Amino acid sequence: MKILRMAWRNLWRNGRRTLVTVAAMTLALWSMVLYTSLMEGMLDSMETTLLDVELGEIQVHADGYRERPSIWERIEDPDALLQALDETGLRSTARLLGGALVASGDVSTGALLKGLRPERDALVSEVHQRLDRGEWLDPADPKGVVLGYRLARTLAVEVGNELVALSQATDGSMANDLFRVRGVLQSLSEETDRATVFLLEDEFRNFFALEDGAHRVIVRSSEGQDLAAAAGLVEQAAAASAPGVEVRSWRDLLPGLANIFDSAQAAVQVVAFVVYVVIAILILNAMLTAVFERIREFGVLKAIGVSPRRVLALILVEGALQSALAIGIGLVASLPALWFVTTRGIDVGGLGGTAIMGVAMDQIWTGAVSPLTIAGPVFILLFVAGVAVLFPAIKAARINPIEAIHHQ
Amino acid sequence: MDAEPIISLREVTKVYRQGSVDVHALRGLTMDVEAGEFTAICGPSGSGKTTMLNLIGALDAMTSGSIVLEGRELASLNKKELSELRRDRIGFVFQAYNLMPVLTAYENAEMVLWVQGVDGPSRRERVMGLLEQVGLEGMENRRPSELSGGQQQRVAIARAIASNPAVVLADEPTANVDSETAETLLDLMEELNREQGVTFVFSTHDPQVMERARRVVRLVDGRVASDERR
Repeated sequence: MKILRMAWRNLWRNGRRTLVTVAAMTLALWSMVLYTSLMEGMLDSMETTLLDVELGEIQVHADGYRERPSIWERIEDPDALLQALDETGLRSTARLLGGALVASGDVSTGALLKGLRPERDALVSEVHQRLDRGEWLDPADPKGVVLGYRLARTLAVEVGNELVALSQATDGSMANDLFRVRGVLQSLSEETDRATVFLLEDEFRNFFALEDGAHRVIVRSSEGQDLAAAAGLVEQAAAASAPGVEVRSWRDLLPGLANIFDSAQAAVQVVAFVVYVVIAILILNAMLTAVFERIREFGVLKAIGVSPRRVLALILVEGALQSALAIGIGLVASLPALWFVTTRGIDVGGLGGTAIMGVAMDQIWTGAVSPLTIAGPVFILLFVAGVAVLFPAIKAARINPIEAIHHQ
Repeated sequence: MDAEPIISLREVTKVYRQGSVDVHALRGLTMDVEAGEFTAICGPSGSGKTTMLNLIGALDAMTSGSIVLEGRELASLNKKELSELRRDRIGFVFQAYNLMPVLTAYENAEMVLWVQGVDGPSRRERVMGLLEQVGLEGMENRRPSELSGGQQQRVAIARAIASNPAVVLADEPTANVDSETAETLLDLMEELNREQGVTFVFSTHDPQVMERARRVVRLVDGRVASDERR
């Protein structure tokens, strides 16, 4: 108790220095909490886009399809697989994939046609909620298609415009049809933005003369379910209902992005550490000055029998009190900023569809708050402040009482 | 038969290294201090007064010889034991008072008892009694900056005797106060010596202090030149 009282009073012997140190620590904490929140928000948003809209957690393809995508390489009986997956409690949908030349007016470009059943697909993917304009697929409008946002721009088409698709059907005939643009998606990913046309499954089958099969089955695991366990269930279901397929988790499909997600938190901590090192130098300077100013006092304390451990504790407590002040003020000051970034967010629409590793960021960059948003910056601050204050504390504890008492 | 001295110095030498020169601060100093003595150590600057107090006070290590305090050879004690010895058996009064500026008079006087682990109520009883004894009743909540030099030195004396030490070592205790204040400080220390049997050893240049001391040891060039008991 006495150490606490002495430490507190010592801090205010040079109030300006203490305030500057605490202010710097507070600012660092505040900015790191905000930065962590924005990074977590960005990663959450990317993960949502990636899993909820694009990939799902697990995908099933016919053996060899991924190495050499072809309209003929398909899962023979997708409905049996979907039914088996339904029985395991996993949500799933089948998609048909085929390349085509799409054209509007004088402009044409290659595109990937994706056929799906809207009611089943909606259980698995949120792509239908990511429309920039127009409407999603509807069985009542069989010729209606939905385009990726850059593809629409390339073809210079808008909702209601016609679109011609040309390809080779599975029976060897020339596939061609006239569609109408029903909707245009927001920016989602490089592949979807640039070259994807969504259409109804029946229209896809008609277009490509494809009677059965599917090229991809997308599977969603339950909330909190272990990915490997879910993949195991899918493999079991596939083995019984659709032999000759390969099951891959999204981590196998996009290992680079999986690494980014895994290391992102560490990257946040590294940035926080670097910012705090600057603060540590300030703390070190302030505490060293404070120790040198009071060198005689430490000498007297040691002369009258105060142990080095207690002298060490005194300086550490002074550092801890400054850290506690900074944490208290910093966290209170963070609340309105966190409220703003989590509810309003920052409009990055002006950046024109920013993407990281091919996954687009939302137009409004919002922050996220988890225990780590607060705990990470706080613990790193405590660690760095502790290290910074340790050197002056050890110096004070090791002081030679005679030299210190006669120090001028 | 004479009582065992509480401090015994035998052939004590202390050599400092100053640059490339050896400075012989003490050259085979031998003397005893009996319990209850009121001793002034005097001598010209550089005669070894402060060095001697530092060695007795276990603040510094001698180069050779022997110092025994209450039967314990200081050279045989480790740092922790020396620190505990200073805490429990030695009181210090410094020329520049050296109080903790952020603590009140009460808290300064209480410091050693707190370090000893004495419980709060006992500390309070002891310290309030001491402050009254040194004439600072009613000033316990003042910080050193709110006290005069004489009052600060009284707090330092209260701090020095709070733990009932075997000896109080005072390095030029009246050097920073006027003669009137010095007189009252000497009255106080003499009273503590006479009534409570506190052993005092001073280093001093001050004739006023030497006049009041009951034993005056004169050092010259690190040796005892004269030892006068009154």
